[in-house]
Amino acid sequence: MRRQLRSRRAPAFPYGYRHRLDDQDEVNQNYLADEEEEAEEEAQVMVVPNLVEEDEEEKEEEKEEKKEEEESQDQPAGNAWWWKLKIMSEYLWDPERRMFLARTGQSWSLILVIYFFFYASLAAVITLCMYTLFLTISPYMPTFTERMKPPGVMIRPFAHSLNFNFNVSEPDTWQHYVISLNGFLQGYNDSLQEEMNVDCPPGQYFIQDGDEDEDKKACQFKRSFLKNCSGLEDPTFGYSTGQPCILLKMNRIVGFRPELGDPVKVSCKVQRGDENDIRSINYYPESASFDLRYYPYYGKLTHVNYTSPLVAMHFTDVVKNQAVPVQCQLKGRGNINDVINDRFMGRVIFTLNIET
Amino acid sequence: MGLSSTRAAELLARDGPNALSPPKQTPEIIKFLKQMVGGFSILLWIGAFLCWIAYGIQYSNNMSSSLDSVYLGAVLVLVVILTGIFAYYQEAKSTNIMSSFSKMIPQQALVIRDSEKKILPAEQLVVGDIVEIKGGDQIPADIRVLSCQGCRVDNSSLTGESEPQSRSSEFTHENPLETKNICFYSTTCLEGTATGMVINTGDRTVIGHIASLASGVGNEKTPIAIEIEHFVHIVAGVAISIGVLFFIIAVSMKYHVLDSIIFLIGIIVANVPEGLLATVTVTLSLTAKRMAKKNCLVKNLEAVETLGSTSIICSDKTGTLTQNRMTVAHLWFDHQIFMADTSENQSNQVFDQSSGTWASLSKVITLCNRAEFKPGQESVPIMKKVVVGDASETALLKFSEVILGDVMQIRKRNRKVAEIPFNSTNKFQLSIHETEDPGDRRFLLVMKGAPERILERCSTIMVHGQEQPLDESAAQAFHTAYMELGGLGERVLGFCHLYLPADKFPETYVFDTDAMNFPTSNLCFVGLLSMIDPPRSTVPDAVTKCRGAGIKVIMVTGDHPITAKAIAKSVGIISANSETVEDIANRLNIAVEQVNKWDAKAAVVTGMELKDMSPDQLDEILATYSEIVFARTSPQQKLIIVEGCQRQDAVVAVTGDGVNDSPALKKADIGIAMGIAGSDAAKNAADMVLLDDNFASIVTGVEEGRLIFDNLKKTIAYTLTKNIAELCPFLIYIIVGLPLPIGTITILFIDLGTDIIPSIALAYEKAESDIMNRKPRHKKKDRLVNMPLAVYSYLHIGLMQALGAFLVYFTVYAQEGFLPSSLINLRVEWEKDDVNDLEDSYGQEWTRYQRQYLEWTGYTAFFVGIMVQQIADLIIRKTRRNSIFQQGLFRNKVIWVGIASQIIIALILCYGLGSVTALSFTTLRPQYWFVAVPHAILIWVYDEMRKLFIRLYPGSWWDKNMYY
Repeated sequence: MRRQLRSRRAPAFPYGYRHRLDDQDEVNQNYLADEEEEAEEEAQVMVVPNLVEEDEEEKEEEKEEKKEEEESQDQPAGNAWWWKLKIMSEYLWDPERRMFLARTGQSWSLILVIYFFFYASLAAVITLCMYTLFLTISPYMPTFTERMKPPGVMIRPFAHSLNFNFNVSEPDTWQHYVISLNGFLQGYNDSLQEEMNVDCPPGQYFIQDGDEDEDKKACQFKRSFLKNCSGLEDPTFGYSTGQPCILLKMNRIVGFRPELGDPVKVSCKVQRGDENDIRSINYYPESASFDLRYYPYYGKLTHVNYTSPLVAMHFTDVVKNQAVPVQCQLKGRGNINDVINDRFMGRVIFTLNIET
Repeated sequence: MGLSSTRAAELLARDGPNALSPPKQTPEIIKFLKQMVGGFSILLWIGAFLCWIAYGIQYSNNMSSSLDSVYLGAVLVLVVILTGIFAYYQEAKSTNIMSSFSKMIPQQALVIRDSEKKILPAEQLVVGDIVEIKGGDQIPADIRVLSCQGCRVDNSSLTGESEPQSRSSEFTHENPLETKNICFYSTTCLEGTATGMVINTGDRTVIGHIASLASGVGNEKTPIAIEIEHFVHIVAGVAISIGVLFFIIAVSMKYHVLDSIIFLIGIIVANVPEGLLATVTVTLSLTAKRMAKKNCLVKNLEAVETLGSTSIICSDKTGTLTQNRMTVAHLWFDHQIFMADTSENQSNQVFDQSSGTWASLSKVITLCNRAEFKPGQESVPIMKKVVVGDASETALLKFSEVILGDVMQIRKRNRKVAEIPFNSTNKFQLSIHETEDPGDRRFLLVMKGAPERILERCSTIMVHGQEQPLDESAAQAFHTAYMELGGLGERVLGFCHLYLPADKFPETYVFDTDAMNFPTSNLCFVGLLSMIDPPRSTVPDAVTKCRGAGIKVIMVTGDHPITAKAIAKSVGIISANSETVEDIANRLNIAVEQVNKWDAKAAVVTGMELKDMSPDQLDEILATYSEIVFARTSPQQKLIIVEGCQRQDAVVAVTGDGVNDSPALKKADIGIAMGIAGSDAAKNAADMVLLDDNFASIVTGVEEGRLIFDNLKKTIAYTLTKNIAELCPFLIYIIVGLPLPIGTITILFIDLGTDIIPSIALAYEKAESDIMNRKPRHKKKDRLVNMPLAVYSYLHIGLMQALGAFLVYFTVYAQEGFLPSSLINLRVEWEKDDVNDLEDSYGQEWTRYQRQYLEWTGYTAFFVGIMVQQIADLIIRKTRRNSIFQQGLFRNKVIWVGIASQIIIALILCYGLGSVTALSFTTLRPQYWFVAVPHAILIWVYDEMRKLFIRLYPGSWWDKNMYY
């Protein structure tokens, strides 16, 4: 009995469409039935079938098939649109159609209410889950950091490509590097650093015990540490003389300490080609290393004023008018700098093409 | 004289071999290509080409662009080709089962050529050949009889007439089918011999015409094919419209057109259940295998389900409903009708065997019988022994063998001294025996034959072993019994005997059967015995089951209406309390015309009546009566009946065995040919072959078909669910700008990896309730994929799954440093190759590759999240209405195999292939596998609730909208 009720129930499609479909099917079926009757008559008479006639019939069948194919090609589009519309309308719009379809007098608003409650409770569930997730996650210390070690390396000025092409005599070609560097170094201004950060003893980790949520102090890294590359003496960072400064920084990682108190050093050389294309590089600070006192990093929530240490490379004598590929690597115990997939892990590769 | 070999060779070259050309086969390559472009394949092809176009554009802009989209396109094409090959292989495998059937034993023919008798393969016959045939031979071609001796042929496979037809050399009718001087190809010669000339060979024979007619009847789409098409349209429609919608949204959100195309591909891939059609094929072939075990051999995989949606079965009588052998059904002696056991082994004969009359009757039955068992069958059960003799005599022989024991010994002890075999003028058979009692020197004359003829020759009747004069009342009792047995549609035989007085017929007396020098009248009537081709014992149950399942069973037979009706009544096709118009007229003693035909539930329609009916009238009959028997119909009329049923919007199953049935078999939604009795033409035209010719096997088929429909629903619901979980990431990626939660390749790994075995496992699910208690599905209303199924899968479980998977994704990102809030609109920066110091929520900086790796970890996490919840989805899909605990969590072991496979595949992808970055899987921390588990449990609980409300409030709003 229940079955019967079910089968009489609203079909899965909007009414108008369903009727159209049914009619079509019926027409097709009638057509086929007629054809069958013809065939049947032939069978009864048992005459030798006329081959030509049969061919014609076959052709007709083919035509019909094509027609059907066309129809069925029309159908899916219409089909899908209706269907999709229904899905969307279920909880978005077009309540009228739904009302029209509802056979038990239950209305669109009931569906709306039920879906509202359903999705509200789903939202509650996901909120609860996210809340639980946040409970397990410390805002000060990421749960896992292994994937980031060893740290990546990035250079400034930041250009969209790592090709430094400029013409010394055309300031337009290098002006944007200068602006970029100047902007980047604003946070390193001596006055700012002295005001915000402490001067901590070099050569050892600046470990600050205490509660996680306690604000941490940051070590000063003054712009003036960069000497010729600080932009203080030479506001063009050497670009106007064809001796560009490039700043190198190591990606921050919470809790990262260079292994066994061995500061990370930077070393640059020609990546491919003649070693002598770069005849001299000056590093600032002169140690060409990131001092241990800048580590560990405690995360941006508590270590607010932390400024990443920098190493400036001053390419004082580079072959001009030709592209020189340069690779700067981090050297030090535990440093990996030759991963093929990641060309920014522990190293950075860029080209200098200084035209005069 | 015959033809000369050279002339014959010429003719053979001209006309071709004398064999039916096999039905036109679709070339294999076409079949293969169809698999390549059918269903979702076309969408995937589009996706692949879009990939390559995207790469082309990228390449023209930037020579060093990554090959990712080329790979993706290649993978998509590979998926299409692999699933295509798989589906093709499955199809081919099921076709192969059939082709083993058509291997026939080469037929031989005795031909006169070059004035010599030669035995040639029948294939080499040509027009003009003179052939000789004898009893038992199959007619090798259409031949005109030149001369014959007592030749009778069985034309039943051609015309449906079950009576043997005599042949002669006279031309008797204009119509070749009616005239007596033509024997038809593939019919059998039952007895006698004949010489004839070949007039038609191969496809030009009458059988050939019918066979070609059958192949001309177009194959219509099976219901399941229509359903699957419908489903493909729905999914493709959703995929394309969401794809295009978001393409437009993406473009209007100022995404690059190129990126938008990539999104489009992602959406298509996420939406298309790539593995589903292959799964459906496997599911169907599994069921086909299961059905083959139950003696239903399915030729066309899709026919598996057709049987399940069948609403009318037009069944043959002989062989399908009945045992196809005459069996003693009733006995009448001592003025009483006794019933005999007509079951297949007849082991339970319960009638009273103590009467003296029975002793005499059994002696007559045993002795007055020419049938004999073929020698060398000592170990074969009696019922299966091969007998030489006609159907009635065989029945009597087996009957007496069962009751009396070794009949041959009895006959030996009662030596036969004379015999007159049955002939149509006498209508009796007589034999004279010595008796086994050595003290009794009398001869015993036994006779059997048409009851009225036997009675004429009798003057006494035996009652309780005593001879009594055959008076008026005894004759009246005889007539009543005769009418009653005849009314049951049974063939009645009378038996009488006479002990010849020893003085007149001494031991040395020579009996002359031509001169009839012995008495043939004033005999003693012993009893009546009636025979019928009894229904198979499993059939009444099966018919009841069909009725319970809302399937109308119509009997279509060439047999006599009375016999047909009797069998229909005994198997329940006409139920015990329903009457035909004629029955009512008889009961009320009024004219047939006066009966209100709405009072009658049953109808017996003969072929003659059918001939004069218009289609409308036939429709009316089919619609009015619930129990219909068509008797005396020709196979051609079967086609008309099938068409009539199909006009009622019914899915019609037709059984048939004759060549002439093949158009009807082809026309039916599912044609069922008989494996034993069926001709090859019928088997070729049918979609299914019943190996045991048993109607009950059809019912098991129906059951399997319905089960597979239900289970396919479950499979599709299971498969569709995760589509939302795969789709949502793309939509959110486009709109909210999160780093991509799941990659296209990863989606393919779900669709074609972890989900395949579980979705097949659902095919092994047992029925939830008695599926044979519900009506057949309405082919236009009860769709495979209906609104509630789609809505529930997409908007309920699918969304819950998506949330669960997102939770895993967020957990991974948050624990690595990117809190959810920081992910919003991160997409652009995230995907920039030159940003190698992207800051996360903790102020840490990430290189592009580190982010990429994290993204892959995200893919893996999302994948694992979906996989874990798909386990719950699999479990909830076991039932649609019942609680999982009612169904039994462990009854379907294959489900657990499926779950295990899911987990193992995921483990391999995660930990086995962690280093293969092309697949974008990474080694996931073990704890992430459990993040989605609460969601999985939630899905289970929610679905249990849904089912609980459906069970509690049948017919309610909830039931209507949540039951799929």
